[in-house]
Amino acid sequence: MNLRGAWALIKRTWLSWLQERSFFFLLAFGWMISPLIYLFVWSTAAGAGTVVGMTRGEFVAYYLILILVNQLTYATSNWTVGDMIRYGYLSGQLLRPLSPFFDTLASEIAGRVVFMTFVIPVTTILAFVLRPELQITLGNGLAFVPALAMAWALRFIWGYALALLAFWATRADALVALQDAFIFLLAGQVAPTVLLPGALQSASVVLPFRYMLGFPVEVLMGSLGQAEVVRGFVLQACWLALALIAFLTIWRAGMKRYSAVGG
Amino acid sequence: MRHLRLIGSFVGIAIENALAYRVNFWISLLHSLLSFGTGVLAIVVLFSQVEAIHGWTLTSTLALLGTYLTLAALRRLFIGPSLEALAGLDGEIWTGTFDFTLLRPVDVQFLASIRHWQPLVILDLLMSGGVLVFAVVQLGRTLTLGSLATFLLTLFVAVIILYALLLGFAGLVFWSPGFLFTWLFNAFFQMARYPVGLYPGWLRLVLTWIIPVGIMTTVPAQALVGGLSGAMLVGSVAFAAALFVAATVLFRTGLRRYASASS
Amino acid sequence: MPQIVVENLSKTYRVPEREPGLGAALKSLFRRKHREVEAVRDISFIVETGEVVGFIGPNGAGKTTTLKMLSGLLHPSSGGARVIGAVPWERKPAYLRRISMVLGNKSQILWDIPPVDSFRVLGEIYNVPLLEFRETLDELVALLDMEDLLHKPTRNLSLGERMKCELVAGLLHRPDVLFLDEPTLGLDVSMQTRLRRFLAEYNLRRGVTMILTSHYMADVVALCARVILIHHGCLLYDGALSGLARKLAPFKLIKVSLGNGHMSAGADPQLPTGVELLQRDNGQLTLRVGHDDAPGITAKLLNTLPVLDLSVEDPPIEAVIDQIYGDGAVNLEETL
Repeated sequence: MNLRGAWALIKRTWLSWLQERSFFFLLAFGWMISPLIYLFVWSTAAGAGTVVGMTRGEFVAYYLILILVNQLTYATSNWTVGDMIRYGYLSGQLLRPLSPFFDTLASEIAGRVVFMTFVIPVTTILAFVLRPELQITLGNGLAFVPALAMAWALRFIWGYALALLAFWATRADALVALQDAFIFLLAGQVAPTVLLPGALQSASVVLPFRYMLGFPVEVLMGSLGQAEVVRGFVLQACWLALALIAFLTIWRAGMKRYSAVGG
Repeated sequence: MRHLRLIGSFVGIAIENALAYRVNFWISLLHSLLSFGTGVLAIVVLFSQVEAIHGWTLTSTLALLGTYLTLAALRRLFIGPSLEALAGLDGEIWTGTFDFTLLRPVDVQFLASIRHWQPLVILDLLMSGGVLVFAVVQLGRTLTLGSLATFLLTLFVAVIILYALLLGFAGLVFWSPGFLFTWLFNAFFQMARYPVGLYPGWLRLVLTWIIPVGIMTTVPAQALVGGLSGAMLVGSVAFAAALFVAATVLFRTGLRRYASASS
Repeated sequence: MPQIVVENLSKTYRVPEREPGLGAALKSLFRRKHREVEAVRDISFIVETGEVVGFIGPNGAGKTTTLKMLSGLLHPSSGGARVIGAVPWERKPAYLRRISMVLGNKSQILWDIPPVDSFRVLGEIYNVPLLEFRETLDELVALLDMEDLLHKPTRNLSLGERMKCELVAGLLHRPDVLFLDEPTLGLDVSMQTRLRRFLAEYNLRRGVTMILTSHYMADVVALCARVILIHHGCLLYDGALSGLARKLAPFKLIKVSLGNGHMSAGADPQLPTGVELLQRDNGQLTLRVGHDDAPGITAKLLNTLPVLDLSVEDPPIEAVIDQIYGDGAVNLEETL
């Protein structure tokens, strides 16, 4: 692998993002708002008592962690890949001795780091103001790391695969938006998945969306039983494998088509 | 008359544009339905756990949500896309194609506000109207012609406030091109989806006085559910008028600045 | 009647400066350095109705800035201008309706729909009566031979085809003054020739006043009898293209063919002083002489050498202009 090339790409991305100074802070701010609204709504609803066993402080903790995980797993490139194809910029990337996949990966990694410089201070301040209640056991903390890593990979690759459908549909951004809507509903944003009504709750367990966002949060909060955690990891791994297969298939077929049509 | 014809031709283009990408069209439709459903579901989930929060019940919150969704739909119908094309990501001011807009023998503010339409949003308008009707029926309140007229008036006032705020935020881009002020506004606008009373005190102050998105939804919802005072009505009309004038002045000052600073 | 009157026009920009590297990028988050750039300095000229004037000068000379002030997109820092009797930067609708600007690097055609729909919207914006709109569109389409492009989505058009559409978009409302900024940028040679021919013909037909900037000398040679040379924001020359050549390259080329015997010996014939031998092939000599010396030296050559054929020529204009864009630009101010 071309490590020097990859590092140069990451650095270039950082540079260009710093150039548009406010841009990524604003993005990060925008993504924070929706979970923040539900933080306020649920913690107000809980008031001094509990809602389904969760206290005000626990809601605050849940949503603050969710904000962090959301920023760590949200793949910005899902939105740009479609345009790359549509406007033919992909051709330029294909000329380089490095797969365009690494371009995207580089901007993802650079993006995560840059976003964290905004999100960590902000959530820390919010934590001081809103006083979350949270006890993290060592086991939960250790399980959180792979859950988060797989959530990131799943969300990134799944979204990438969707965006690549732009090879055929010219515009796949609606699909990416659709995925966001599903994540909003089923991945624990609108409410922790345990609060969802019956059918939705079962759907959230089976479908991939919870494993892109809500699952690592629940693991860290310790709100899942051991069996549930194991089942979660198995399902997460399955979806990740499926996403990888889908991505590779679409990529190959798409490249064939791109070279045939000529961009 | 000429302005109406101009709007007509822009709407025509928009319809054509929306139909140009067939797959995208259907997915957008699905997305519309899904995000509408999610919005309603979020409130249903919330009130399945609690009776009322700070005096807001399921029905009155639905009336507010209906107002919010109507406003959001009107925004997405033309105000949002038009100003986004001007001041948003890759907007005209950033790319410099604003030059062409300036060369047109039409008032720039008018042209910049009505150029881009999203015809599909009609569906969202219908659905949000449905929520409003549902809320009123649930409330068991018979609407008189007078209260209906009041509601429509307050809704119109809310649209003016929304437009003025968006125009003002978009106008700021003349001072700092590349800063996505419209996104910043969007973040705050999302908060109007819930009663302002659900938020902590400091945020309530911001949403009432600094970025007054609270007024936009609360006043029409009150007109519908009852509890709107005459003073509030007159006040909001005056407020909207003042805001409109201020935003126009800001935008025009920005225009002059652009003309003297761009290259 | 003068259609464009420019008096002492100047424009100064404030531009942010930044050093390369991550550190400097971080630093610029907090504090930005600015620098004043005088893009245009004290320019004055007059353009008559129907004239085609070429703005020439190297990159960053101030051509586009001047053009933008004349089209009303920029306020000048000082000085004044009137175009068809109006002050451009007041941007009165009545004024904007009579001018047009075509930018080679920016597009006013919508990307996702066929050009004909973009044209229709422009027709509405400029309030062109329907009958006149159809007439103009038909005329332009015929002139540019682009019937088949009208109904394809713009994103499927080639660069040259898109430029044709840009021109149509710019001319639909029959402007009296047309500003063209690098209209042939990036096009292939045959497309360039085609657009040039179109512009020349359109100028004849409608008597449109045109100001053109271009980096392709062939554009200027083919279209502009008059050129304005701008360098470092200053107007250095305003007049006929041939006159510029004389000023920049004040010499003539004499081509002489000599009788047999004089060439075969290999030795050069005795040449008068002040003559430089540039080239020698197949019995023909190319000589360079000072512009004013040309008549005297020609006479001398005819007297002293067995001349079979002799011609006096101006140096090719392209070569002269290349000098402006190339290294010669540095010394321009002294030359003129």
